[in-house]
Amino acid sequence: MANQKLDLLQGTLDVMVLQTLHAIGPLHGYGIARRIEQVSGDRVLLNQGTIYASLVRLQQRGWIAAEWGASDNNRKAKFYSITRQGRKQLAADAAHWQRISDVMGRVLAMTGEERQ
Amino acid sequence: MRTLLERIAAFFRRRELDRELDQELAVHLDLATEDNIRRGLSREEARREALIRFGGVEAAREHHRDARGLPWLDSVLQDIRYALRTLRRDAGFTVVAVLILALGIGANTAVFSLSNVFMFRPLPVKDADRLTVVAVQGKADSDPGEVSYLDYLDYQSHSSAVFTGMTGYVLNIVGIGYRGHADRLLVSYVPSNFFSMLGIRPALGRLINPGEGDAPKTGPVVVLGHSYWERRFGGDPGVIGRTVSLDGAAVTVIGVVPKEFLGLYNLIEMDGYAPVGMLGFGSSSGIFTSRESHEMRVLATLRPGVSIAQAQAALNVVGQRLAQEYPHADQGQRVRLFSEPAARPEPAAADSKPLVVTVFLLMVGLVLVVACLNVANLLLARAAAREKEISIRAAIGAGRRRLLRQLLTESMLLALAGGVGGAIIGNSIGYVMNGLRPLGDLPLRLAFTFDWRVFSYVAGVALLAGILAGLAPAWRISRTDLNLALREGGRGLIGESRRHWLRNGLVIVQVAGSLILLVAAGLFTRSLSRAESIDLGFDPRNVLNVSLDPGLQGYTQPRAEALCRELLRRTQTLPGVRSASFAYSIPLGYYSNGAPAIYTEAQTVSPATQVPGASLNAVGPDYFTTLRMRILEGRAFTDSDTAASEPVAIVNQTMAERLWPHRDAIGQRFSYKAAAGPFATVVGVAHDAKTTGLLEAPGMFFYVPQTQHYQSTRVLQVRTSVPPESLAPAVEGLLRELDPNLPVYEVMSMDKALQGANGFFLFKVGASFAGALGGLGLLLAVVGVYGVVSYSASRRRHEIGIRMALGAQRGGIFGLVIGQAVVLLGFGIALGVAAALGVNQLLASLLVGVSSYDPVTFVGVSGILAASALIACFIPAHRAARVDPMTALRDE
Repeated sequence: MANQKLDLLQGTLDVMVLQTLHAIGPLHGYGIARRIEQVSGDRVLLNQGTIYASLVRLQQRGWIAAEWGASDNNRKAKFYSITRQGRKQLAADAAHWQRISDVMGRVLAMTGEERQ
Repeated sequence: MRTLLERIAAFFRRRELDRELDQELAVHLDLATEDNIRRGLSREEARREALIRFGGVEAAREHHRDARGLPWLDSVLQDIRYALRTLRRDAGFTVVAVLILALGIGANTAVFSLSNVFMFRPLPVKDADRLTVVAVQGKADSDPGEVSYLDYLDYQSHSSAVFTGMTGYVLNIVGIGYRGHADRLLVSYVPSNFFSMLGIRPALGRLINPGEGDAPKTGPVVVLGHSYWERRFGGDPGVIGRTVSLDGAAVTVIGVVPKEFLGLYNLIEMDGYAPVGMLGFGSSSGIFTSRESHEMRVLATLRPGVSIAQAQAALNVVGQRLAQEYPHADQGQRVRLFSEPAARPEPAAADSKPLVVTVFLLMVGLVLVVACLNVANLLLARAAAREKEISIRAAIGAGRRRLLRQLLTESMLLALAGGVGGAIIGNSIGYVMNGLRPLGDLPLRLAFTFDWRVFSYVAGVALLAGILAGLAPAWRISRTDLNLALREGGRGLIGESRRHWLRNGLVIVQVAGSLILLVAAGLFTRSLSRAESIDLGFDPRNVLNVSLDPGLQGYTQPRAEALCRELLRRTQTLPGVRSASFAYSIPLGYYSNGAPAIYTEAQTVSPATQVPGASLNAVGPDYFTTLRMRILEGRAFTDSDTAASEPVAIVNQTMAERLWPHRDAIGQRFSYKAAAGPFATVVGVAHDAKTTGLLEAPGMFFYVPQTQHYQSTRVLQVRTSVPPESLAPAVEGLLRELDPNLPVYEVMSMDKALQGANGFFLFKVGASFAGALGGLGLLLAVVGVYGVVSYSASRRRHEIGIRMALGAQRGGIFGLVIGQAVVLLGFGIALGVAAALGVNQLLASLLVGVSSYDPVTFVGVSGILAASALIACFIPAHRAARVDPMTALRDE
């Protein structure tokens, strides 16, 4: 099916949140969720609520920081930004994911050849 | 690590964090709704869409909490809150369960506190963990005991390779007089290194200086015990430097020991400490000259890294050398080393104490197990009644593990409350025991305290109890068939018996455990009654004892003897008095005279195979009449046996047979002082009496006339024709007429005096303790059987209704219910008897005159247990028989 959505793998949400904050700068929870959905072309199946568990986890590890501020419509909202430690972690995670997708790509390609 | 700290912080800030999160989520939904409106949806639609995309606000909250805080702690708190709610709802059940556990844990606490005093708690002295007790064991006298002072000096100077120090004390009862009033006190006579080796600092003044009073007749000073100082001198610091009399000698008070130091004799707090040199004045002066004068309780501190076995080996070497050098006194003597706690209160107890402690710890352990089974059964009954609730919780998604945890939380809370109750009960028992006075007027100081050892023990026991009690119901729940439970509403006929086998099994084990306790209680009780009917060799009924010691008031021998003669004469004329006599000590009392060695004039016993010592008593002419001791041959003492006449003695049967086998003892001569005499002529042979211990085989014992063996301490014994204690005021009045300042002590009937430490005290304590545990076991078993029978009767109401509707008679229904009790009791008692027969071996050596397989006890306690439980079951049986079939069947 063309509009089949992807279930998120464990741990991937954290990387997406870090990357989003890294690329766009400080955002509130809703902003982060929307951005991930948009970037993925609405292909990610995201219960927006789960983002908050991810945010508190990243915050406790010191990878992101939070601050109360005013949203576009002048509501009080919590804005998250990536910390220096977070950037380091993101670099490591990105490399890791790159390697996995690399390897998976090759393995899957090999399977295709053997069948013939 | 950092995350953990954050999580802990988050756990404590959870209310605030929840509020922030709610605010955040609200903003999120608002922003999403506004976006959706912008995309052209109606407000309502936009909101709905936002909520869908958000995916469950409550779930998000839960996830958030799990991620940020300590989810397990959260759920534990939840479990506790829930358990508290359930327990409060079922207050009756909770109170009963907590009470049962508290009794079980309390009994354990009490026994452990006692073992703590006797076996574990270190003394408040320096290097207490390396403190040991040196004791010697004679060849005939099998119990390890005191060392002679001269041997102690040798052991001390030749063992510095294994010990950093060696000291000791001589226990003595003395009179301390101050301003015309004398108290009879327990004093330790100590070498001058005593306090420095133990690292004791004075609470006031100074302690004994190095070298002070180590030589005979030197060191006229005394250090006061803290309690005595407070009691007698009101804690007055001005007491330092004052002169008091110590057994008639003037000594200076130099200091007070700290409150926590009670001396080294674990049971009684010392009233004072004086240098050994002061013993040179008194009757114990022999310690400086005779190696046969075994008076010193010796302690030594091991060098770090030296084991007891190594130190024992070093002492053996010294012991062998002493035996060669002083064959007369030391040959055949064995020196033994114990860790200090093992030798409490006397080294003689070291060999039997572990058994006694084990037996009692096992008994209270059994009480605890029975108590836990009882509570487990109560929990099971409740779990069955709550089956529907639990099934519903399981059906709406509570995990099985969570349910188990919930049930265990409940039983742990019960056990916790039980633990608190148990600690209170146990401490109260300890408090009562602190007040026991088996040593007459000397206060017993068991010094029970609730230290960390007792606390950890109680906590451990409570934890164990919680797990034990919660295990069965939890196991049961984990096997519940959800569908069945929901469909039947937790009640049904099918499988009822199968579902009850666990509860029945628990009750059977409970009955068996209680039976073991009852058997032990029965055996101890029978043992006590046998001990009480032992032929003592004298008649303790209708005898009044009044102790006095004119020496305390500084009486010289002639004045003291004149006083006693006059007191005796006046006493004999009192109405209600049959006869009266003075003696030095009473049979089975806590002090007596001993002669370290006996020498026969005819050398019937060679010095090489030297005869062991004998005990003696100095008595007056009417002694044997007054105590109704039989003289088998010869005569009793008379008024013509005086200091000036020929020395005479009366020996007991055992002594006569040992010293002059196959010969007439009358007319033989022996000495208890030295091989060269002076000799006393045997004028009579007395029937063997129990004089030193109830259980001991009669030892060598002899009597000498008080006129020929002066000791100022004496007890007036009066045989009365009226209740003995009713004469006490009259006798005390007579003494007051003679000397108003002379104190009397231990004014009590002989029957009462026999309840002392060497008399029936231990039997009484053992029997009443075992009896209490047995009673507790009985109570628990009855409650257990009653609980199960009445519960299953109530569950079978429906079935009983049907039976009655089909024509069953009330008597038949009654029998049906009682029948279940009979079956449970039958199995339980059979199992208990089998187990008791197996473990009773342990008790054998603690019993007197009754076999550990005593059939009377076994049959008796089984009968008592069965009868009490059956009577209790009449209630549910009667209730079941009165069931109205119509009501029971309608009650669906």
